[in-house]
Amino acid sequence: MERHENLKKIIGIPRAISYYNNYPFYHGFFKSLGIEIVLSDKTTAKLINDGAKHVVSDTCLPIKVFVGHVINLLDKGCDTIFVPSIQSTGYKINNCSKIRGLPEIIRNVINKPFEMIEPTLDKTEGLGIKEFCFETAHQLGIYDEKSINSAISSGWSAYNSFVEMAKSGIPHKEAVENAINGNYTLKKLSLVKPFSVVIMAHGYNLFDERISMNILGKLDKMGIRAYTSLDITRQDGINSIHELDEIQYWANELDLTGTAAYFMLNKKIDGIIALSAFGCGPDSLMVDEIQYHANERKIPMLHLNIDEHTGEAGFVTRLEAFADMLIRKNRKKLLQQNKCRNIEIALNKQKVQEQNVMTKVK
Amino acid sequence: MKAKISERQLNKYSKNMDNNISAKDRIIAWPRMGRIDIPLKALLLSLGAKIVIPPVNSNEALELGVKNSIEGICLPYKLNLANYIMALEQGANTLMMFQAPGSCRLGNYTKMAQKTLKKMGYEFDMVIFDMYQSKMKQTLQAFWHVTHCVNPYRYYKGFSLGFNKFFAIDEAQKLLFYTRPREINKGEAEKCYNKWLNIIDNTNSVLGAKCLIKKIRKDFANIEINKNKNVPIVYLLGEFFVLLDPYVNQDIEKTLGELGIEVQRQIWFSDWLEGVLKPSFLNKKESHRQRCVRHAKKYMKRAIGGECIETVGDAVYAAKNGVDGVIHILPFSCMPEIVSQNILNKVSKEEDIPILTLVLDEQTGKAGNITRIEAFADLVKRKKFKKNSEKKKQKEELANV
Repeated sequence: MERHENLKKIIGIPRAISYYNNYPFYHGFFKSLGIEIVLSDKTTAKLINDGAKHVVSDTCLPIKVFVGHVINLLDKGCDTIFVPSIQSTGYKINNCSKIRGLPEIIRNVINKPFEMIEPTLDKTEGLGIKEFCFETAHQLGIYDEKSINSAISSGWSAYNSFVEMAKSGIPHKEAVENAINGNYTLKKLSLVKPFSVVIMAHGYNLFDERISMNILGKLDKMGIRAYTSLDITRQDGINSIHELDEIQYWANELDLTGTAAYFMLNKKIDGIIALSAFGCGPDSLMVDEIQYHANERKIPMLHLNIDEHTGEAGFVTRLEAFADMLIRKNRKKLLQQNKCRNIEIALNKQKVQEQNVMTKVK
Repeated sequence: MKAKISERQLNKYSKNMDNNISAKDRIIAWPRMGRIDIPLKALLLSLGAKIVIPPVNSNEALELGVKNSIEGICLPYKLNLANYIMALEQGANTLMMFQAPGSCRLGNYTKMAQKTLKKMGYEFDMVIFDMYQSKMKQTLQAFWHVTHCVNPYRYYKGFSLGFNKFFAIDEAQKLLFYTRPREINKGEAEKCYNKWLNIIDNTNSVLGAKCLIKKIRKDFANIEINKNKNVPIVYLLGEFFVLLDPYVNQDIEKTLGELGIEVQRQIWFSDWLEGVLKPSFLNKKESHRQRCVRHAKKYMKRAIGGECIETVGDAVYAAKNGVDGVIHILPFSCMPEIVSQNILNKVSKEEDIPILTLVLDEQTGKAGNITRIEAFADLVKRKKFKKNSEKKKQKEELANV
């Protein structure tokens, strides 16, 4: 009887914030518990507007988008919504207040009746992933320890295959789809592109095609290879932050500082692009930190600020200008090398001429 | 059960105190916040240190801060940086600052300021005391590091002077808030307050400092006030720095006081200090924070850093205790306070209490804010008048029956 009830249960996951980095885990976990998942629609302008109507104007874009997705789920008729509060991912490594207080915002901002599944991940207080998952299951009315444990491991297996696939170069969307369908393919060949940049951005900004204006696709068309946080491992990120003599302060710092630092230190890239939402607190600091180190190493950097009013035309212009700058910089470098060679040749010629003159005089 | 800190992380935090300058040559400065310069001055002078106090926050200071900091950072940092620069220009070579990680951007202030100032070409030592673990020990360590003073009597004298001055300043301010809307001769309370700030600053003996509060109370009691005046009460809530610094909040307490409204602030520096430095087993009474957590329960289930839960808890507390209104102030793009701003909308509706939110940044014009405050004051007064007249009517009806 109980099982039957569980099978009927439906949970709505908003396609925002932690969806982009953790969805394969959530999928594996909930599917194994026998819970059906309803995803909200992809981000649209209307959805953002809906979200923006409910919160105060100073709230940042990703939160407005999240609220929009929750409203979208409620409109679809889903009345159980998964809103995790990810407080800290290490001892005193905290998240931004707005992400920590996501359930708090949703509870007070939306006036419709609905059930919210709001587990807390807080490693400072000793609430790790296991406790997080148990809390989720308990709030859904599932208390069987064995099935929860097996659900956690199936969540991990989906997540790990997602991470590995993404690291091999498969685009984020495809990797997520493969992971939740249980496929496992690695990309072996990739075209060599003349330029490469690293994008430092939160997963929820970068992989949302509406928020990021499909920056990855645009760069691809321009012939620029873009590295993202999916291309490095967690440990790489932490090590490179330490190597820059910084400390990890924010929970999602590995997506930004860690990624940029790793590629900057290993000299694989021609430039850095920072993509952040307007008014984002952690980003303002992290971008500045990387800017400082990039200036020292003379790596060009572009900082793109986005909010709900950002127009695509201006965005593209800035990207193109950056790409042109990279090309020009490279050309200058080549020219300088050529120049050195030309000067040498010219000097040699002069010497020969002088010698000729000398011999003529004699 | 607490997760272990990685060794590397721990090493980084314990390396917070630079040691390039010998203790004798140190000239110490710290950022301003309200009047914390008075107690800290007393403490450091009694430890035998040389100090520099940066000038009061002003437009000039803000401009300096804005010029040298990044665009997206919040207002308190910009002013802190300006204080550092001004102090360094005046000859300081050691900067002190506390750091509370895990709250918000505050944990990154010192790191950034250090980098920015080094880039500007200043040479100095930065002494940071973390509010991570064993806070009292950290604080003592920092002051020892700065002064190398070994005499325990001096520490006793310094700390007791400092604490008593903190309490005295807060008491004077509380009395000022109470007296200002009720005084008969306008400006008398303010004069008295400024006089006492001077006296507090010049007190040098422990005994004298201990008597300060009594004397202040006596002196404020001498001011003629209209006790029967019907004064609405407004709670001032929001971000710590903005609440305490009169330049940043454009002296909102004075504006409200002159409009005939009593301001009650729930966040006091002395409270915070006690909460941070006093060992937890000595606290028998329910602390301010615990009270806030209890009241905010309906709206918030977890603390999310900063003063968010305090703001929400106090707003609910205010509504339950018959306070007439709440003014919520925050610096632009302050992360925890934006969450509380979202929540306060609902609190205002459900608890039936008017709430005004003022967002402050370097661009804020004073005139616009004053208009809003005046409108809010009128609203609060009318609401109070209505409430009172309803009460009177009920009484009359009862008397008639």
